[in-house]
Amino acid sequence: MTHAACKHIRNFSIVAHIDHGKSTLADRLLEATGTITQREMKEQILDDMELERERGITIKARTVAMRYRRGKDEFELNLIDTPGHVDFHYEVSRALTCCEGALLLADAFQGVEAQTVANGYAAMEHDLTIIPVINKIDLSHARVDEVIEEMEQSLAIDPDEVVKVSAKTGIGAKELLDAIVDRVPPPTGDPDAELQAMVFDSHYDKFRGTIMYVRVMNGTVNKGDKVRLMRAGTNHDCIELGQFRPLRTPCEKLYAGQVGYLICNIKSIDDVHIGDTVCLAKSADLVKPLPGYKAPKRMVYCGLFPSDGQDFEELRDALGKLSINDPSFEFEPESSEALGFGFRCGFLGLLHMEIVQQRLEQESDVDLVQTAPNVTYEIVTNNGETLEIHRPQEVPDSGQIQEFRQPIVRVNLVQPTEYIGAVMKLCQDRRGTLVRTEYLSSTRAMLTYELPLAEVIYDLHDKLKSATRGYGTMDYEVIGYRPGDLVRMDILVNGKRVDALSIICNRHDADRRGRAVCKKLKSEIDRHMFEVAVQAAIGSRIIARETVPAMRKNVTAKCYGGDISRKKKLWAKQKEGKKRMKSIGQVDIPQKAFMAVLDTGEEK
Amino acid sequence: MTKNRHQTPQSAYIHIPFCEHRCAYCNFTLIANRQDLVPAFLEAIDRELQTLGQAMPIQTLFLGGGTPTYLSESELNQLFDSLDRWLPRQPHHETSVEANPNDISPAKLQLLTNRQVNRLSLGIQSFDNTKLRALDRSHTSDQCFASVQLTREWLDNVAVDLIFAAPGETQSTWQRDLETAVKLGVQHLSTYGLTFERGTRFWSDLQKQRIHRSEEDAELSMYRAAIATLTSAGFEHYEVSNFAMPGHRCRHNEVYWQGKTYFAFGPGAARFVDGQRETNHRSTTTYLKRMQQGSSPTAESETLADEDYARERLVFGLRRLEGIQFEDFHRDTGYSLESIGGAALRRYLQSGWLEISQDTIRLTRQGLFISDALWPDLLVAENANECAT
Repeated sequence: MTHAACKHIRNFSIVAHIDHGKSTLADRLLEATGTITQREMKEQILDDMELERERGITIKARTVAMRYRRGKDEFELNLIDTPGHVDFHYEVSRALTCCEGALLLADAFQGVEAQTVANGYAAMEHDLTIIPVINKIDLSHARVDEVIEEMEQSLAIDPDEVVKVSAKTGIGAKELLDAIVDRVPPPTGDPDAELQAMVFDSHYDKFRGTIMYVRVMNGTVNKGDKVRLMRAGTNHDCIELGQFRPLRTPCEKLYAGQVGYLICNIKSIDDVHIGDTVCLAKSADLVKPLPGYKAPKRMVYCGLFPSDGQDFEELRDALGKLSINDPSFEFEPESSEALGFGFRCGFLGLLHMEIVQQRLEQESDVDLVQTAPNVTYEIVTNNGETLEIHRPQEVPDSGQIQEFRQPIVRVNLVQPTEYIGAVMKLCQDRRGTLVRTEYLSSTRAMLTYELPLAEVIYDLHDKLKSATRGYGTMDYEVIGYRPGDLVRMDILVNGKRVDALSIICNRHDADRRGRAVCKKLKSEIDRHMFEVAVQAAIGSRIIARETVPAMRKNVTAKCYGGDISRKKKLWAKQKEGKKRMKSIGQVDIPQKAFMAVLDTGEEK
Repeated sequence: MTKNRHQTPQSAYIHIPFCEHRCAYCNFTLIANRQDLVPAFLEAIDRELQTLGQAMPIQTLFLGGGTPTYLSESELNQLFDSLDRWLPRQPHHETSVEANPNDISPAKLQLLTNRQVNRLSLGIQSFDNTKLRALDRSHTSDQCFASVQLTREWLDNVAVDLIFAAPGETQSTWQRDLETAVKLGVQHLSTYGLTFERGTRFWSDLQKQRIHRSEEDAELSMYRAAIATLTSAGFEHYEVSNFAMPGHRCRHNEVYWQGKTYFAFGPGAARFVDGQRETNHRSTTTYLKRMQQGSSPTAESETLADEDYARERLVFGLRRLEGIQFEDFHRDTGYSLESIGGAALRRYLQSGWLEISQDTIRLTRQGLFISDALWPDLLVAENANECAT
């Protein structure tokens, strides 16, 4: 039952494929409701992080409360923005839990893409009312009718329900607002019940501490209340609460159905978990946590090492600072024989990893060596123990392994039909299993494959783009762990195993990859004063070898009075450069060689 | 204890920054075809010499460039007037002048010998016309022969420079160059493998792949051929790239390699006086301007700490194939060779790149060929971490 107080509230999010105009549409809604004037409008105000701007994607969920007056009624429309990438699947699902409706946005030219489908499914799974929206209808090459057909085919959308807009020009914005008011149901929940609020995001403000983004499911929270974070079991004073309009606007209370923020003087973000439930401290015993909480699962790991060992503490500080605003990223100290002291870092996915690295580079001066990323494996040992493997070095001897499991993902790939053959080959080469083929329209089809995550994260997206001239899109979701014929491949430099170069791969790929890695390393390692052997091995069996021949001649001719200072500088610089390389035995390995193991040996 | 580097210099270098043409491989301090700047330059040099405050009698004087013989006879006379006044030569001095084969004439040789020049270093580079063209030299093979022969008539200390591994050069071209130099009876030979330096035409040609570096092995065998041919002809291989008939080593260059002090004058010239390394501004026009204004021509300066000096001494001393005597090293630097060389020195001895016999440490033949790879670790102290292990 909808409580009287909630009747004028609508909570919704926008789901779309990247670049289909989600942020621009949000801007138009802000404008059309007068939440922000055109003059104030910075383009794509919701994507306010520089990095997101650079990459054109939304990473952290944002939220904004709009007032929309229709006749004598005033509605409160809460837009909960969602991250647009598969790595943030869990964040998306938490945000969707806070909504009753979703705008499913598709580009009038690009049509239904892999993420349109994936996000559409996600919205349906949360029982949200879907408002299909076609954007960019003003484009001269818009193909509105076909895209409606694609929506119908892929997601069973009723063609009559589609709202047509141009987020750029504002065409259809008013109609869309009306559709939101008319079709999205008001939130259920009782303002008089015990408080239950879902934390769907948070960020850290250096002056105010952690700012939690919440949707009140039941009850009311007042300024000054003592609240409890149920998962952490910690109590806090709610010193400020309010809504984003779009700037933080304090108010006295938030009640069931409303979306807003809480500031509770929380100095550590570790206490705040996305998906946690906030209740009143005094009635904590009476309230159950809201369902659906999951600890973030890191799927991709890599090692980050300061290239100058001295910078270890600096790197620790930089990582700590980053994790304050991104609790889904984790790091712990590790040491490598080859690279010294550094950190093993876990990420939600490959994009997440790239984002974190870019931020590290932007926000700190530490020069980094990154090891090749790997997924999290599981190993069942002979005595029945299940190990989580975050780095290849942790793989035990093959004699102790009963089962070696890897994460499997279900991948949706949407492309024009003429590329189906090429895409199928791509997936089959990566040991994919075809689940189904669906025709979205006469010209576009969606393939669904199950593939090892490891095969997906390295380069499937790039390969898909080149196989489909850029028209293919993909999205994936982890569906579980399955046993695989996996081995650990080691790399030896002059007979010495380089721990940071070990990889886990399919046994049948080992020879090819071993050869590729050795070849790549040969080209990366400078000639030394002695011969350098680069070998790939599985256990004690050598499967590939390359040799870097010894330096034969390295002698400068001229060295007179004027050359002395110059030569000294040059040699000092060389020495400095050598220090930045990693020495294995007496072999200097340049930092970028540590990414050499990504070379798959496939033809380019 | 470390008096060596505080002794009053007995040597001086003068840089003459003029050439009629800049060769495609050259990145030296010079300006091509600017006759008009010579008078100002001679005045500037005199001004810089005046900063000595008093005449400094010296043992070795070296006029390099550029091309000192680019100057006309009257200009050369003016230059030597200044030099005689401020840098009078002591008995048994060595006075060297670099020269281009096409500048050599009896009149010029007459003038130079009159002005106490007793050693001429000819920038021959090759006796082969094709190779000379490849190197962008402005003289011909005939001029090379003629200039050496003529100079031999005036002086008994003639040096020539030869470049190997020029673009397209073969083993046999190089062998002919070496044998020609020997046959012509020169007393001193410097051989340089062609290097590609930033800012030269060859550098950009290399980037654009219009020319190619020689293979490492080809270059090595040319270097080996130089050593074999010249030593069997009676030359001493006394420094990485220098060969001399007995008694004809370049005393001036030995000063550099033995860590002794020297004055220097002219644009881009580098001096080592009182433990301090200084380099003049490389731009000729800036140099001239500074001298006209009476300001210092120095662009860079470095005061060597005791240990830095010892490291330099080690590296540049080892480039002399005779090596370094332990006792000399200790006397000149105050340090023992072992304490300065440390782990790197031990490693190189073990690998057979350096050897010790009696009281001397020197490069082995294997070490010589890869010697540039040895210097960085000897020149810069290994970090504390490595020392501990």
